[in-house]
Amino acid sequence: MIPELGHYCLVLALALALIQASVPMWGARVGDSTLMGVAGPAALAQFAFVAASFAALTWCYVASDFSVFNVFQNSHSAMPLIYKFTSVWGNHEGSMLLWVLILSLFGASVAAFGGNLPETLRADALAVQAWIAAAFYLFILVTSNPFLRLADAPFEGRDLNPILQDPGLAIHPPLLYLGYVGFSISFSFAIAALIEGRIDAAWARWVRPWALAAWLCLTLGIAMGSYWAYYELGWGGWWFWDPVENASLMPWLAGTALLHSAVVMEKRNALKIWTILLAILAFSLSLLGTFLVRSGVLTSVHTFASDPTRGVFILAILAVFIGGGFTLYAWRAPMLKQGGLFAPISREGALVFNNLFLTSACATVFVGTLYPLALEALTEEKISVGAPFFNFTFGPLLVPLLIAVPFGPLLAWKRGDVLGAAQRLMLAFALALVGLGVAFALQGGQPVLAPFGVALAVFVMIGALTDLSERLGLFRVPLGVTLARARGLPRSNFGTAVAHFAAGVVLLGVVAETAWNAERIATLKVGETISLRGYDFTLDGLIPRPGPNYREVAAHFTIRRDGVVIGVMEPSKRTFPQRAMSTTEAALMSRGVSQIYLSLGETSADGAVAVRLYHKPLVLLIWLGAVMMAFGGALSLSDRRLRVGAPKPARRKPALQPAE
Amino acid sequence: MTRKQRRLVLIGAGLGVLGLAAGLVLFALRDSIVFFNTPTDITEKHIAPGSRIRLGGLVKPGSLQRGDNLFVRFEVTDGHATLPVTYTGILPDLFREGQGVVTEGALDAAGTFRADSVLAKHDETYMPKEVADALKRQGHWKSETGYGLAGESKPGAPTTGAPK
Amino acid sequence: MTLWFVFALMTAAAVFAVLWPLGRAAVRRSGSDVAVYRDQIGEIGRDRANGLIGASEAEAARVEVSRRLLAAADADAAQSAAAPRPGATARRRTAAVAALIGVPVLAATLYLALGSPQLPGQPLAARVKAPLQDQPLDALVTRVEAHLASNPEDGRGWEVIAPVYLRLGRFEDAVKARRNALQLNGATSDREADLGEALAAAANGVVTDEAKASFERARAGDPKNVRARFYLGVAAEQDSNHAAAAAIWREMLTDAPQGAPWVPIVRQALARVDAAPAPGPSADDIAAAQSMKPEDQAAMIRGMVEQLSERLKRDGSDVDGWLRLVRAYTVLGDKDRAREAAADARRAIGPDADKLKRLDELVKGLGLEG
Repeated sequence: MIPELGHYCLVLALALALIQASVPMWGARVGDSTLMGVAGPAALAQFAFVAASFAALTWCYVASDFSVFNVFQNSHSAMPLIYKFTSVWGNHEGSMLLWVLILSLFGASVAAFGGNLPETLRADALAVQAWIAAAFYLFILVTSNPFLRLADAPFEGRDLNPILQDPGLAIHPPLLYLGYVGFSISFSFAIAALIEGRIDAAWARWVRPWALAAWLCLTLGIAMGSYWAYYELGWGGWWFWDPVENASLMPWLAGTALLHSAVVMEKRNALKIWTILLAILAFSLSLLGTFLVRSGVLTSVHTFASDPTRGVFILAILAVFIGGGFTLYAWRAPMLKQGGLFAPISREGALVFNNLFLTSACATVFVGTLYPLALEALTEEKISVGAPFFNFTFGPLLVPLLIAVPFGPLLAWKRGDVLGAAQRLMLAFALALVGLGVAFALQGGQPVLAPFGVALAVFVMIGALTDLSERLGLFRVPLGVTLARARGLPRSNFGTAVAHFAAGVVLLGVVAETAWNAERIATLKVGETISLRGYDFTLDGLIPRPGPNYREVAAHFTIRRDGVVIGVMEPSKRTFPQRAMSTTEAALMSRGVSQIYLSLGETSADGAVAVRLYHKPLVLLIWLGAVMMAFGGALSLSDRRLRVGAPKPARRKPALQPAE
Repeated sequence: MTRKQRRLVLIGAGLGVLGLAAGLVLFALRDSIVFFNTPTDITEKHIAPGSRIRLGGLVKPGSLQRGDNLFVRFEVTDGHATLPVTYTGILPDLFREGQGVVTEGALDAAGTFRADSVLAKHDETYMPKEVADALKRQGHWKSETGYGLAGESKPGAPTTGAPK
Repeated sequence: MTLWFVFALMTAAAVFAVLWPLGRAAVRRSGSDVAVYRDQIGEIGRDRANGLIGASEAEAARVEVSRRLLAAADADAAQSAAAPRPGATARRRTAAVAALIGVPVLAATLYLALGSPQLPGQPLAARVKAPLQDQPLDALVTRVEAHLASNPEDGRGWEVIAPVYLRLGRFEDAVKARRNALQLNGATSDREADLGEALAAAANGVVTDEAKASFERARAGDPKNVRARFYLGVAAEQDSNHAAAAAIWREMLTDAPQGAPWVPIVRQALARVDAAPAPGPSADDIAAAQSMKPEDQAAMIRGMVEQLSERLKRDGSDVDGWLRLVRAYTVLGDKDRAREAAADARRAIGPDADKLKRLDELVKGLGLEG
């Protein structure tokens, strides 16, 4: 009964979405508040039904109901409970259900917390949101239904793909989807604004928190995915420029640009058209990502052609929403009023600079990801565009962007003073030069570029701190004044500084890991020792261990430095009989923010084990930086200014109230 | 500056950055893309030794030989042609005889492919069409697929029932 | 029934979510950009007070935002002044009807096309808890498999599940189970033969080289191992070496223990490869019997008769068998058992008039009536 209830909930959600898509929009056109008022409760009810549907599928997984085909395909009764939960979204159908769950969650949030929005904007935005939701409900029900049943239920499932049986995967897809799908809100707002033909500074204020929330989830999701790949795939890479990764990076770049241009729009009523375009773009890229990952087109253009229903369906959704969005944009955007003026050298100018480079970088990733697909579809020629391409195009575009980061916040609105800003960044320059020198001294000759990367990272970090100290008047005014200012400073200023600082941290991690990573591959017998960067690894023995749905052979290593034992590491190999697959579980040991990484290869007949050893200096900074960046986003999000405008009935009286 | 001039500066800067990006992309596309080939392509196209390519196909069953110091030699086949491949290092978990593999490297003068990276295909949840069809005839589902036989069966692939 | 009831409740809830806001009076509960601009002006004041921006900048910004505030306030006033368009009731009614009819019809149509309301949920825990004898075989197999997955060293478990796999047609699994049993419990002639049998079954009955090697090991362990010898004969037959096959089987028949149940199978196999008359039971057995002492003879015949009787109890469809049994008891002088056998035969044969007639004739001919 439970699976059928879940199925029916999904059908009802579709019906509600269709009502929500039409009635409020009609109401907004004729100015009928009652009809517009349908949007809120419908969005909440829709979310409740999708949540119930998702809960039903989860129950089927937890209870191992193999009469549900999806459960039979992706679960196993002996799997640990946590993976029974995660396998709900570890497959195509379930992950699409998670996708719409998050979509409706955002719709419900706008309904619940969007009280400060003008009612037509709110009704239109929720209606657009419902169109997207309806399209995806239909997609799930028709082509990817997780509730299909087997009359003759098997007694055991086929198990979840072992590579996905990992705690990292428990949170990675939900976070990533929160980000992807979160941009649907800015998209809906943009479309609603275009339909109304009225966009102003207030619009940016309303959209920014939603874009910020989506961006911060996406940042965490990407970082989580990268860390997962790092320790689960067993060869120590943390970014592969894989199309699936690019699919999440592109919306992130567009979303970052959107956050910055929305600031200009809010403060200066400028860049309106551009901001709307970015809002449409960010979600279009999210949809494109969904299409790339879910249609099978990545494996080969031809697999897509051989099983076309899903791919064609998503492609149609893509065409309707992206095509429709841009058509509406082309039609309506010229009617929007021009905003405030600014000089090229100004805070606005710096943010435009940021946008230009971010979108260009996004465009190169787009070309690198889609060019092979287009080429294969057109000429049958198969090529792979790998890391060298992206390093060559993406890298040079990021360098000027990062150089500009410390300048931006130091420039004034409307007309800025570069020289003045540069003077205030003298300390950052000086420390960057010190970093350059230290890095050269530490590494010796090669690679030449690495010390410059370190210098840039230091410059960005110190620059962010400079911005903050300038605002607080640190060391220039008495400490008491500084503290008072710190209390008065809006949280979003702290958020900006933290996020910019974090960009420098990530860069430092990336540079150090790429340039000074040490690797060693060897075969070892029990009792033998090898060394890497002053660490000695002794293989003490191989220990077979049973697991719930796998068997494992762990290698026990003792690590010594200068003869002193500093710890043990147990990398292992797991074999999953149900899928006849094996996975490598790497062992990691953190030394400060550097890591030692140990993973196993196959065991040869004479008992020797192949081992891969890495020393990865400062590697943890990559993810710590990403988390810090997300924290900066959260700080901005908690800024009370973003919530202002909420019409508490008392405050809506026409009488002017004193500023708080 | 007038409004018009300001706009021109902005547009000029935009075009400049986009031009830079386009230049980088074009340059990189000439230099750092790698063509994907099957063994048949390689025999037919006479690819010069030393040029960097990707080779994809199935690992020929029975062809895997291990040497000292993680040296391996195997053959990649696409059904028509077969090419010997050498590699030194740890093979990925999903590497298996009879399964798909993509290697990257270059041909040497003797016609052997020297790989410096080996990728096994990650996607093995792809469901063959026969299985999807079988699902529609729900009642027959179990007898159509049998069970995933422990051992060598490919996940998702239908295994034959039990004809005596 | 419960299912449909819950469906109805859920549909009602969905429809209510739309009807409820339609039924309420129109409340304008919404913000406008005026609030945002007012807040921005306040913010400029705070920034100025904190010394974050200069006086002239603050003034410029204040003017700019104030201009926007005025425009927004004008727009708001214009909007609220505009009278709501007429026809509100009609629109509300249309929307309500769309929800009342559209939602249930759409949901029912889609669900009936896609769902399987007739199938109950089947959580594994409930299925496993069902009484043992009610469970289908594969449930039991699942249990044993789960046990073996956690205790792969349990040789007895493998031995138990192997024949089940064979019966289910999961030959590869059977081979694996037999191999494990062999490894864990130690090699014996029987286990080798078991493995060979599974291997042959996995190869659709062909005795592969691997299976043959297994059978040969079994025969080496016990030269009398029946299955090993039989399958080695099959192997020879499959190699078209009919003479060798016949030799093996003939030898088996010669030293077959008394009443061995496999004799007919071997004889049948032998008949396939050997055009020459099989060393039939009659010929050989009788020759053997003739050279025996009378009491041994009687014992041997009794043994054969018992065996026949056992077989007929299991499978009573063989009329000729019954007739032979009745005749045999009579020959042995055991008229009571002969009558019993006749009665059993009558029950086993059932309503087949033709066969009953033959039985009646025999009973009459032997003088067993009465």
